[in-house]
Amino acid sequence: MAAITDVLARPTGYSGIWSWLTTVDHKRIGLLYGFSAFAFLLIGGIEAGVMRMQLSQADNSLVDPATFNQMFTMHGTTMIFMAIMPLSAAFFNLIVPLAIGARDVAFPRLNAFSYWAFLFGALLMHSSFLVNQVPDAGWFSYANLTEKPFSGNDAMDFWALGLQVLGISSLAAGFNFIVTIINMRAPGMHLMRMPVFIWMTLITSILLVLAFPVITVGLIELTMDRNFGTHFFIPASGGDPILWQHLFWVFGHPEVYILILPAMGIVSEVFPTFSRKPLFGYPFIVFSGIVIGMMGWAVWSHHMFTVGLGSIATSVFVITTMLIGVPTGVKIFNWIATMWGGSITFSTSMLFAIGFVALFIVGGLSGVSHAVAPSDRQQQDTYYIVAHLHYVLFGGSLMGLFAGVYYWFPKFTGKLISEKLGKWHFWLFFIGMNVTFFPMHFVGLNGMPRRIYTYSSDYGWEWLNMLSSAGYFIIFLGVIIFMVAFVRAMRNGRPSGHDPWDAPGLEWSISSPPPEYNFAEIPQVEGLDHYWIMKRRAAAEGNPITRPEPHVDPRTIHMPSPSYWPLIVAFGTIWLAGGLLTHYALSFMGGIIVIIGIVGWGNEPPTARDPQH
Amino acid sequence: MGWFAIRPAYSKAPARLPTSSLREKEGEAHPIPHKALISRRWAHLGIMALFLLLAVGCSTARQSTFDPAGPVASKQLELFNVLLWVMVAVFILVEGALLYAIIRFRRRPGQELPAQTHGHLTLEIVWTIVPTILIMALGIWTVFAIFDLEEPPASADNILDVTVTAHQWWFEFEYPDAGGGKRITTANELRIPVDVPVRLTLLSDDVIHSFWVPKLAGKLDMIPTRSNQMWLQADANKIDEYPATFFGQCAEFCGIAHALMRFRVIVFEQDEYDAWVQNYGEPPATSEQAQRGKAVFGQCVMCHTIDGGDDRELQAGRLDAFLIGGALVPAPNLTDLRTRSTLGAGLMDLNTENLRLWLKNPDDVKPGNSMSDRAAHLYSDGSDISLSEDQLNDIIAYLLNLQ
Repeated sequence: MAAITDVLARPTGYSGIWSWLTTVDHKRIGLLYGFSAFAFLLIGGIEAGVMRMQLSQADNSLVDPATFNQMFTMHGTTMIFMAIMPLSAAFFNLIVPLAIGARDVAFPRLNAFSYWAFLFGALLMHSSFLVNQVPDAGWFSYANLTEKPFSGNDAMDFWALGLQVLGISSLAAGFNFIVTIINMRAPGMHLMRMPVFIWMTLITSILLVLAFPVITVGLIELTMDRNFGTHFFIPASGGDPILWQHLFWVFGHPEVYILILPAMGIVSEVFPTFSRKPLFGYPFIVFSGIVIGMMGWAVWSHHMFTVGLGSIATSVFVITTMLIGVPTGVKIFNWIATMWGGSITFSTSMLFAIGFVALFIVGGLSGVSHAVAPSDRQQQDTYYIVAHLHYVLFGGSLMGLFAGVYYWFPKFTGKLISEKLGKWHFWLFFIGMNVTFFPMHFVGLNGMPRRIYTYSSDYGWEWLNMLSSAGYFIIFLGVIIFMVAFVRAMRNGRPSGHDPWDAPGLEWSISSPPPEYNFAEIPQVEGLDHYWIMKRRAAAEGNPITRPEPHVDPRTIHMPSPSYWPLIVAFGTIWLAGGLLTHYALSFMGGIIVIIGIVGWGNEPPTARDPQH
Repeated sequence: MGWFAIRPAYSKAPARLPTSSLREKEGEAHPIPHKALISRRWAHLGIMALFLLLAVGCSTARQSTFDPAGPVASKQLELFNVLLWVMVAVFILVEGALLYAIIRFRRRPGQELPAQTHGHLTLEIVWTIVPTILIMALGIWTVFAIFDLEEPPASADNILDVTVTAHQWWFEFEYPDAGGGKRITTANELRIPVDVPVRLTLLSDDVIHSFWVPKLAGKLDMIPTRSNQMWLQADANKIDEYPATFFGQCAEFCGIAHALMRFRVIVFEQDEYDAWVQNYGEPPATSEQAQRGKAVFGQCVMCHTIDGGDDRELQAGRLDAFLIGGALVPAPNLTDLRTRSTLGAGLMDLNTENLRLWLKNPDDVKPGNSMSDRAAHLYSDGSDISLSEDQLNDIIAYLLNLQ
């Protein structure tokens, strides 16, 4: 046995490239998630730019229709699966263990695997650019346009297989965070003392593990149709293309909440901090989140009001869709009530959180208008929908996530981002977002369908499109300013101290950046807003807390050692998927790598030979 | 007590009734109410102005949903309009509350920790119940509208049936009985009489498409394996001049030329419509040039059809082509092409120049179009399938029935 454990010895480096490739530290994985997701956010943004330039004028011929179709497909897929979701995952990783008083997630190696599977899945899908077979059927890729007779090259296989791998990553992450949140909370942190962000992470994770299997089934069926001669979605052989729509949206609607709930959690942390007042109606915010998570399963057919499902089915989904607006409204009212009577500091983070609410209201209201099925017949598949979904995804999710970036940046760097640049970033985003997407409501109701690469000047859509395209540059400038602010803060930002915002969360009680082991001593949680309780009691006793929890010798704390295996298993997974595109022998090899990886993973010694551990 | 507050462990002061901080005390002068009020008013005015400005631009657009010309689109707009005012009201209320809160409660230098309120049960109940009632009222009204719009009014006894089949990337209209028992098949132009409910049966020949004429009716998908039914009608009181044209477009992404899959609904007065039905059918080619063109067109009949006085020869031509083994591909029926307004599924006006462009190289005009591919496939012996200038002139003369 000694020989085997020698071969399978765990890596020991804590610096350099290998330390990042083999890391199982949730903070490092969070940063990897964050930076990768931001890179994909930029790619998706450039794809959006190509579309906006093409549509800025009538009869434009900047790109050909094939390229345009690839752009909107990859823009949607990238932003949803490779930018917003992994950005949320970055926050899950960075914050969850810190905010529940844990030293890491429940399954650190599985966590590393989630990241590598995400990265490789995203790279697999983007490798379609190298062979010029880029997916081109829209982010929801309705069958049977995606079937062989209508999509002859490998583009849709890249899409299906890439998404499949991203799904594996999401499933692993979902399970990991459910177990972490249920099992790893510090003593005293009852469920109803958990920060709302943790609640939203829990609900999101449950949605992930329940929703992704549905799309997995759909993707397997699509892949089999395209490669192995089945005909799930092929009408000519008795298949049903509508089956795809049901599978996609049964997944797709919970997915919408997977995208928004983390941002809702983030702003629920930001509002109390910068209003110096506890969250208003905490149990109502929590339960409305749970209700949203449950009702999210009962509304999928509102994406299909034009399919002709019949008046009875349509009526049922009208009612459920309208009802889901109520818990969303409850959250908004509670956030406003949190600020009401507070003492508000307009930090950049707070501005983004306020922007989130202001814009999400618009997206929510246009959402209610889609629920009115007869009038949705005029809205479906137009720019009105594009406007709506960007108000909730850009105005909602992305603004919320940026609130989180500005809020927690000091925690992980010990430095402050320039408030001046941050505010420029906010205002450029806020204004640019409205200039880009508000006119789309009108151009949509004026009859402009989405996914058209050109339109003639006779249709009266030109100036509104021009306006939207101009707005793109404002957003673009905002992104550049953010990058400048970020890099400058990393290089020589002002030191932040451990608790720059006088925040209530547990994570602020330790040093910034946190030590690898997070908490030298696992805290005993006394209530919601634990750190506020601590600080105010200490202040009342006359010796206010000014310093973080002191560091201890890391050798005294047992932490999980780094591991090669998550990377190896993820690597095998991508060969397994990629082989279906090229040669089945590669799939076979990939399968073997996965099996070896899992065996190695299972037999890995618990600690490194490193005498330190 | 009707309020709910978890008393925080660190709170030394007795928990205050949260209403005191939620409602302004009367007569209390705070530093910025006037300013806040003014800026809020300006914000609202600005929003209203923006709405107006954009709405003015709206009704003039070709496919505007704000300018309905029939009962279906009118009802759909009516629902939207009511909802719009509800949305505007809720928007002003909630954004107003947000704006007020962030202006009124901003931190002032030296400010003490504000009252640490945790919630208020009555408020929570109110803002759960009130939206629920509001939204259920909307929901029930919507459900009634759904059933109202299902079928043409029962009183209508003159319903016109049309089967619409979507193809990548054009629409085929088939009237089983256009009037007087006449069966008509045409493409990309639906001709209907005014004030008559038209019941459409929507089919698809390949992938999913969607049938949408914003001024007449909201869209319904056209799905292979399914037959969807919708109806529309053009009202005389919304039409100034006949024939009236309404613009439509495929609304479900359906491949490379999705953007160019357009069609028109042309509304006639009843007698004009009857005359069109009566005269439908290709008149015999008269001029010598048109005769020559007809001979050239003999190669096109594998896919295209022309119904009319002398289509027998063309049918014979199709049989010949079929016997040499080509596949029959659905293509627009070209009967009476000269009376249509557009070419290439609403892509461009129909005139000699555009028709010449199209015939010379259809791929240049409309991407994804299968005309030259199919022709090459049909005449797979490698012979040159392009038309000479003379042939072009002849075939144009034939198709447009030039004298």
